[in-house]
Amino acid sequence: MVTSSVKTSGTDEAVDTRLYECVVLYPHPFGEKEERDLLKNVEALFTDAGALLVSKDLWGRRGLAYTIGEYDEGRFVVYHWMLDPAKLKEIDRALRIEKGVLRHMIVKPPKKYQIVKYSEKYEQWLKQRGEEQHIAAQVEEEKVRERVAERAKRQLARTSERKKEKEPAAPMEKKELTQEIDKLISDDSLDL
Amino acid sequence: MSSLLNKNVRPDPRTKKCPFCFQKTPYIDYKDYPTMRPYIDYFGNIRKRYYTGVCLKHQKMLRGAVELARFMGMLAYRK
Repeated sequence: MVTSSVKTSGTDEAVDTRLYECVVLYPHPFGEKEERDLLKNVEALFTDAGALLVSKDLWGRRGLAYTIGEYDEGRFVVYHWMLDPAKLKEIDRALRIEKGVLRHMIVKPPKKYQIVKYSEKYEQWLKQRGEEQHIAAQVEEEKVRERVAERAKRQLARTSERKKEKEPAAPMEKKELTQEIDKLISDDSLDL
Repeated sequence: MSSLLNKNVRPDPRTKKCPFCFQKTPYIDYKDYPTMRPYIDYFGNIRKRYYTGVCLKHQKMLRGAVELARFMGMLAYRK
């Protein structure tokens, strides 16, 4: 839990604030000016409540897992604010009314929370995954090639064997043939 | 001896160790898609602890993270 006390200028009143994370989802085919206005409005909600901006992370275009308000793609903004917990409800209600916001969520970060910019991390992961897939595809291709080459070799060996089997014995020459026949005829043991 | 002979036999799912405990993960972030991905099956369901080897503490964290991610449209409820 991250809490701190911020003294407002002019008064001695100390306001207890704590870290909150706010995620806003807005549709992807969205005008540039509209987007700017929306972000300005959302930020104004927090700053009016006396919140301090800790970090802002603009995620690019992301595919949604299911359609929300007839949109298949959206953009996310992740804010971290130091905010007075008493003003949370008010902001939540205002965000719900805000035009152009598909979904929003204000979360209390867990213990030992570290702010990470997931937009960069996600892109790195995408790149890494792309490379891994590319390498895997190459390995698969090589395997297929090897298999094809092996099969071709086997086929060749088989066909050559068959040819050998089919080939008739070389015809004897006439001299040899007559000699053989003579031998057979002269052989008495055969008793022809 | 029998285990040496049967190399193709799948290892017992009960003997797996929790990968989050191994890395000493204090929490699982719902925005961290790459870490949650292996624990979600094709249909968008959270995989059983029995098969992934995640300990109960981290399975509960994972469930919370997945539920938040589902609400924000980062993960599917049902594919």
